[in-house]
Amino acid sequence: MDARATSNPALAILLIPWSILRGAARFVSRLRANIPGMIGFIGLVAYFIFTFILPRFIPFDNEPNLDEIVGPIGSRIQLAVHRDDARLRTFEDLAGKTVGVVDQTGGPDLIAPYADTLTIEKYRWTSRRAGPGLETSLVDLANQEIDALLIFSKTVTELIDSQQDPELKALFSENIVISNPGLGPPHLLGTDTQGRDIATHVVHGGRVLILTALIGGVISTVIALFLGSIAALTGGFLDSALTALTNLILAIPRFPLLVVMAGLIRFDNTLYLGVLIGLLGWPALMRAIRSQVLSLRERDFVEAARSLGLSTNHIMFREILPNMISYVMINFIFSITFAMYEQIGLVVLGLAPINDYTWGVMLYFGRSRGTLYNPDGASMALSPVLAIAFFQVCLVLFARALEELFDPRLRAPV
Amino acid sequence: MSLPPDVVLQVDDLSIVYRTDRGAVKATANVSFALRSGEAMALIGESGSGKTTISLALIRKLPKNAVVTSGQIFYQRDQRVRDVLKLSGKELREFRWNECAMVFQGAQNAFNPVLKIRKQFEDTAQAHGWKNRAAVRKRALSLLQLVRLDPERVYDAYPHELSGGMKQRALLALSVLLSPQVVILDEPTTALDILTQRAIIDVLKDMQRQLNFSIIFISHDLSLAAEMADHVATVYAGEIVEFGGVADVFYESLHPYTYGLLTSVPTLEHAQDRLQSIPGSPPNLITPPEGCKFHPRCAFADEICMKDSPALTADVGEHLAACWHKDRLIESRKGRA
Amino acid sequence: MATQSLNAPLESPWRDQLIHALRTALTSYTARVVVQAIVTIWAVATLTFLLVREMPGNPIDVLIEQILTQEGISYQEAYDRVAASFNFDPDASLLDLYFSWLGDLLRFDLGKSITSPGTEVIDEIARFLPWTVFAVGMGLLISFVLGIVLGMTMAYYRNSFLDHSLSLLSSFLTGVPNYIWGLLIIIVLGIQLNLFNVGELRGTYDISLTPGLNAAFILSVLKHAALPIATYVIATLGGWMLNMKSSTMGVLNEDYVNVAEARGLKDKRIITSYVGRNASLPLFTQLTIAVGFVLGSGVVIEEIFVYWGIGHYLFQSITVRDYTSMQGVFLILTMGVVFSNLFADLTYGLLDPRVRISGER
Repeated sequence: MDARATSNPALAILLIPWSILRGAARFVSRLRANIPGMIGFIGLVAYFIFTFILPRFIPFDNEPNLDEIVGPIGSRIQLAVHRDDARLRTFEDLAGKTVGVVDQTGGPDLIAPYADTLTIEKYRWTSRRAGPGLETSLVDLANQEIDALLIFSKTVTELIDSQQDPELKALFSENIVISNPGLGPPHLLGTDTQGRDIATHVVHGGRVLILTALIGGVISTVIALFLGSIAALTGGFLDSALTALTNLILAIPRFPLLVVMAGLIRFDNTLYLGVLIGLLGWPALMRAIRSQVLSLRERDFVEAARSLGLSTNHIMFREILPNMISYVMINFIFSITFAMYEQIGLVVLGLAPINDYTWGVMLYFGRSRGTLYNPDGASMALSPVLAIAFFQVCLVLFARALEELFDPRLRAPV
Repeated sequence: MSLPPDVVLQVDDLSIVYRTDRGAVKATANVSFALRSGEAMALIGESGSGKTTISLALIRKLPKNAVVTSGQIFYQRDQRVRDVLKLSGKELREFRWNECAMVFQGAQNAFNPVLKIRKQFEDTAQAHGWKNRAAVRKRALSLLQLVRLDPERVYDAYPHELSGGMKQRALLALSVLLSPQVVILDEPTTALDILTQRAIIDVLKDMQRQLNFSIIFISHDLSLAAEMADHVATVYAGEIVEFGGVADVFYESLHPYTYGLLTSVPTLEHAQDRLQSIPGSPPNLITPPEGCKFHPRCAFADEICMKDSPALTADVGEHLAACWHKDRLIESRKGRA
Repeated sequence: MATQSLNAPLESPWRDQLIHALRTALTSYTARVVVQAIVTIWAVATLTFLLVREMPGNPIDVLIEQILTQEGISYQEAYDRVAASFNFDPDASLLDLYFSWLGDLLRFDLGKSITSPGTEVIDEIARFLPWTVFAVGMGLLISFVLGIVLGMTMAYYRNSFLDHSLSLLSSFLTGVPNYIWGLLIIIVLGIQLNLFNVGELRGTYDISLTPGLNAAFILSVLKHAALPIATYVIATLGGWMLNMKSSTMGVLNEDYVNVAEARGLKDKRIITSYVGRNASLPLFTQLTIAVGFVLGSGVVIEEIFVYWGIGHYLFQSITVRDYTSMQGVFLILTMGVVFSNLFADLTYGLLDPRVRISGER
């Protein structure tokens, strides 16, 4: 119970969560007046439930469903099948059948996983609207030379309708069923390029991203806190060296550096990416913390503690850190947003691992498979975009509210 | 409305209220006074007594939450009388500095740090329709000379290149650039060292002698008031409680508050042990005391003081005071002397 | 004193004067920031050198391996080929390589592209960089001006409905990553509302036109740059707004603004020369930080809009593992940031007389 016991850094660190908790309780009670901050706070809690609890109850839809594919180019995929075989619905149903594919951007990509089970004859469709290729394949289909036809376009109905030749028109309308799936329940947000439910992907797509961003944020904040306080408290050569290093790293454009490193290293685990982001992300905060510690060090209560001969540990953990905790918290949140920004940017460029199906990966596929440019693909493109956007906005709103609550200069005058 | 020819500024029954979250602060109540041409008047009183509010009202620079609930402020120049409170936006802008200049408290930051002193003189002149730069320069240099600065150097300097005392003097020069009739000085010497204070006072006296403007100055430095002022008004809790010639007020105070202020100042003649401070603290202006607002702190207070507030009246000449017990004060002063 | 100064010219030959001048020059602020900039560029050059050669799975080995398996030539041949494209002598030590790389850099020689043989990296950069500079510069300029105006408006009408809505808006603008804004523009405005044809706006200008100072070409350039510029504006605007608001609120409390009003100055003059000028000072330093950030983020933005600027070139080099191009572009980007910092350091004194370099005294 003497002063030395409380200056034990390990003990003092244990006190940090307590002070954070106490601050959080006080914060929530004061936050009610700050509507944007409250929105951010509630949003973040919702995101937490959404990404860490909901996935336990909602399984990830990994079942490709031919009926509900959103095609990569002009439109939704359409499946034209012979009337006798109208029950053909999924890729599995097509096993062993002769399937014609109208080859356009992304078409072969989609079919590739099923190439072994399908007998595929490729038909090149050259003209933008219903061309001779499509027509030939429809005739083939009607004559049962192929069992089904995959068309990545919605023009097939138009083609049949616009048919002048009465004989052909009769042949198509008597023999062909067009499968043209719509969106809506049970698929809340529709389906993706493989007919999988997007809503379940959105629910599952945040976990790895948020964890990675947290790792990045924690690592950069801890490094910044450690180096910043060491530089400020020891001063001298170490201080100058650390400051010079910080300035040097700050001059390097961070995102291109990450792009180059990710291009060289080619990560296989997203979490490693978080570590790299954290290792590169500390300098700006380190500089800010250094000057904070420097100014706090000059304050009366710290002067008093020093004149009492208390240890550097005591001064750091008992006198300075508690006075910086809100500042560090705010910057921790901002560093999470940076980590989020950087990792998703890398994923969108295709330089980060895509084995976890995150919002970023959804975006990546949206771009690389062209769904982004499909007017019917709005859901697939917008769902991850909005999920990311609102998460970032919630973080920023929350951090801004914290800033306002803890910085008396920003508070509205009484 | 006509005023006596030598009156430049007359304030009638001015009351100002600040609306705040905790209620209406009655910062100024029924203040009336007149300022004559070429005269210096001092407003004295503790901080928060409403001195600054009165002076801000004169150029209508009150904070946004202030409301003038009653009163008029008349300004006269060349037999033309205007009510300052009724000036339109454009008229007010032209009135400011041209007719009535104000040197704020803490003039250290009164100059825009990114513009040269010259530019700020020119800005001021230009805003009031004076476009001839050479003429502005000539006038400014002579004024800077008057405030005992090196005119050429200061005129082309940036504010940060001047010392605090130099900035204060440059500001005084700027304040009379447009030959206003009234210059308001709010604590003109606070935050300056004692020698600089001395220099500023000398400069002020010089300027007034040569340019013949009227001065209203606000100070809690009574020695400064005694030296500079012709008339003194004591402000307590937003009211003028005593008004009169400087000698009358300082040597024959008729209000216990003024007397209290005077006896709390050390002088060379009086020994330290005779110093007294006024007990208590200034009243809360949201719910001011009934009757005379000074009664809770007053040694002479009795029942009447708690019920009715005394009027500002004169028994002899022009020495006004708002107190029920002027006689008792005179008695007690005689006893001490 | 008098005799000394009379004798002084005789006793101090020109050499002493030169040394004195040099000493003053080197200890001056200008010299310090210039030296700092040079040291930074040198350090980053060293870093890129080590990054490319010493990283796990280092590109040189990967490339040799690639050529070996693809073309079935001898190891020595493959090694020589790689050495040629990386600008190094196969027999030299790491230190020699390092110095020759630095020497090449001083001659603005960034080596040859690996994947398109015969192309100088520096030429490619010269081809792509101007587009990025144009788009980033325009974007930052527009958002900076707009942000200053909006930020001042917020400060003047603080705690009003306008202030609260603008402040919420700024949180949205800054919170949402810039590439997400880019994607939103494409998806919502381009695809869903069909306001423009996304495909037609790819590239930096309509390739059927001949570059030159004609209206059609300039219009085409502006049209192609419009979306990236809009994205840069949207993504950086919120920051300027908030910074300008808090800076303006600080300035509005300053005595000199109060005094300026008492001086009867016109509102326009007070807003521009007294409030605006002082409040925007701190934002100029932040502008250089923004330059670095926006230049960097250009990689994704240009990729999303298929705008052929330096970021697009960097990304293309990475996908085909063109290491010389990669290190060249990265170095150029860093130099861009360093030089914009340097520029800000050297010109800040023109804006704020308080830090003006006292060269003449």
